[in-house]
Amino acid sequence: MNVLFGLVSAMVVGATPILLAAIGGTFTFYAGIFNIAMEGMMLVGAFCAVLGSFFLHSWFLGILCAVAGALIMAGIFVLFAVRLHTDEFLTGIALNLFAVGLTTFLLRDIFHVKGAFTDAGIRAIPAVKLPLIDGIPFLGRLLSGYNAIVYVALLVTVLSAFVIFRTRFGLRLRGAGYNAACLSSSGVPASTIRIWSLIVCAVCCGLAGAYLSLGYVRLFAENMSAGRGWISLTAVILVSGNPWGIAIISLLFGFFDGLTVFLQGSRIPTQFTAMIPYVATLVSLYLYSVRKRRQA
Amino acid sequence: MARDVLIDLQHITKVFPPDTVALSDVSVSFESGEIHALVGENGAGKSTLMKVFYGLERRDAGDIFFKGAKVEFRTPREAISAGIGMVHQEILLIPEYTVWQNIVLGAEPVRAFGTIDAHKAREAVRQRIEEFQFNLDPDALVGDISVAARQKVEILKLLYRNVSVLVLDEPTAVLTPQEIPQLFAELARLRDKGHTIIFISHRLDEVLTLSDRVTVMRHGKIVGTSAASGLTKEDLARQMVGREVLFTSRRQPQEPGEIVFRARELNCNDTEHRARLRDATVEVRAGEIVGVAGVEGNGQFELVNAIMGLASMTSGTLDVMGKDITHADILTRRTLIAFVPQDRGKMGASVAASILEDAIMTHHVLDPRFRTWRGLGLDYRHAAEFVDQIREQFTVSMGHSSDPFRSLSGGNQQKVILGRELLLETPFVLMDQPTRGLDVGSIEYVHQLLLNLRSRKRAVLLVSADLDELFMVADRIVVMCQGEVVVDLATDATSREEVGYYMLGGKEAAHAETGS
Repeated sequence: MNVLFGLVSAMVVGATPILLAAIGGTFTFYAGIFNIAMEGMMLVGAFCAVLGSFFLHSWFLGILCAVAGALIMAGIFVLFAVRLHTDEFLTGIALNLFAVGLTTFLLRDIFHVKGAFTDAGIRAIPAVKLPLIDGIPFLGRLLSGYNAIVYVALLVTVLSAFVIFRTRFGLRLRGAGYNAACLSSSGVPASTIRIWSLIVCAVCCGLAGAYLSLGYVRLFAENMSAGRGWISLTAVILVSGNPWGIAIISLLFGFFDGLTVFLQGSRIPTQFTAMIPYVATLVSLYLYSVRKRRQA
Repeated sequence: MARDVLIDLQHITKVFPPDTVALSDVSVSFESGEIHALVGENGAGKSTLMKVFYGLERRDAGDIFFKGAKVEFRTPREAISAGIGMVHQEILLIPEYTVWQNIVLGAEPVRAFGTIDAHKAREAVRQRIEEFQFNLDPDALVGDISVAARQKVEILKLLYRNVSVLVLDEPTAVLTPQEIPQLFAELARLRDKGHTIIFISHRLDEVLTLSDRVTVMRHGKIVGTSAASGLTKEDLARQMVGREVLFTSRRQPQEPGEIVFRARELNCNDTEHRARLRDATVEVRAGEIVGVAGVEGNGQFELVNAIMGLASMTSGTLDVMGKDITHADILTRRTLIAFVPQDRGKMGASVAASILEDAIMTHHVLDPRFRTWRGLGLDYRHAAEFVDQIREQFTVSMGHSSDPFRSLSGGNQQKVILGRELLLETPFVLMDQPTRGLDVGSIEYVHQLLLNLRSRKRAVLLVSADLDELFMVADRIVVMCQGEVVVDLATDATSREEVGYYMLGGKEAAHAETGS
């Protein structure tokens, strides 16, 4: 029983940052931007979260700093890819590389450490005990007691499905991706919609980053996003942006991520267990393309 | 019928840098509640004039008056909010959205939290569909409906925004002949409800059928405006081209020579193993033009592809001048066959390549003149001379030979392709819809070229959807129906009605009447 609970909790914990970043990515996906900068936005978010939390002594201000950091990254993306029409892919690569360099440099410059910064002064995001549900014996243990961001991620997912498919913004957002010229000729500049999609993406990635450094652990390590932004991109493309599909893929990834932690105690070398999530991503890509070919 | 002047364009001048004068001192006025056709050859300035009016192009001089007041539309959005909408040639819709979603996009009715009031939107759209009798399903996906229906959606999108003036840029170019009368009926209804319609076209029959008044443009200038009722096709063509245009056959009697091209019992399947060609047999003699008629999709395209080696046949033989080319590679076929495909931009030429590169395609391997370094290099001096040759012989109006092919107008693109193909000096010429999308002057030119080939004893196979064209130039017309060549008719001994009858599958009926 404990193994099950442990695995479920590890799954949710592993899925949360992927889910948040992927939901962000799905907005830009629908807006027709090939955005690969989730990785960089998340990393900058994680750093700024620690920065804010440590100096301002508040996890909440830490989260705000994370979002602000990610928004600055989005601003750079907007300036280059939307305003100056540079290549989106190259802009994304540049931002991701910039994020690694910047955070590493600032880590050494501000905190004077190499590798990782951990300090008791960093305020972590608290866990939330759900009222009512927490009292139920089995369900309480399964659903309650996670980090606040986990519930935020859940909320964001539901909200994004609503916004994308039910609202005026959603109709225009998808319009920008399907046919930008059509949207613009209908009186809504596609570039405005794209800028908004990037802003939403940055907020989500900022939250994901804050979760990494203030929820998942309580430290900042160099390159601590560790490819999660890329995996979230995979999730977005795999399900063509559908938020519910993204939730499932993220949970799947979280499960394998949790499995990694679980198998660390076993006799399998850690180098192999650490591969699991990435191998699982490749396998799912393969299965997906096979299925798609059969449909065609 | 004293109508009010609604739109008055005065002394409009537009120069495309460096020195192309697209519009020179153009003054024209449109009255409210009329269908006003703007005609002219490709490049005459019709579309440019309307784009200047609509705020899509800046003008260099002139004034625009709308409802008596001087106006200035900087963007189409401003024009639309003033009540003027334009439907462009290329349809701009989102195939993934339904009809009503496409129509309301950008002006959506919303409820709380920015949610779309789907009920209200659908209702508003349905109401307009009914009002104008457009026969559309508001819930259909735009990707699933026909091009004609998409065009209606474009018009409805503007009507939803309450425009009173509609500008349509060659709306019939994308429609099939069966769909055109319906569009015209709808446009006439719109006029009767008080809308003003400006209709850009170069198809003279349509202009005369639909419009109240016609303005003819040529070379960026207005030739004149007159009431459509007193005009004939010949009058319009003369004004457009600036000289007499012949709409009747100039084919001189001529005895055909030896058989040059022979296709025997060709069979060909598509990827789903459906028969696209069934025992198709065609012969063409020297000095003869054989036309291939048929409703589109009855094997004409496959016939052309089989002859060129672009589609594999399951059985049948092909020969040119007694040489068997059934299994020959494409290059060998090209030494015997000049080929003008129906799709200029995709198969006929590479639009991104330069005029020179497009002009020497095929020639660069067949003609040793263009080779240097044992075929490793190209002789650009000879190539440039060759382009000049095409330019002079085929009267192409073009810039430098290094300009991209897409910078040419449609008619000039076709002339370059024709020049390239005909200078191959092959005994057999295969043309697939060579005049599609060309203006009156260019069509006449292509027809003259075909007749010249005929008098020079070439064998020509002409696939065309235009029966008038076939009756004007072809000696014989073969009709294809469901992959079969159902009949072979001498042009002088048949009629459009008879050809149409066979096109629609009248073969069995004909057999029954004359047969046992």
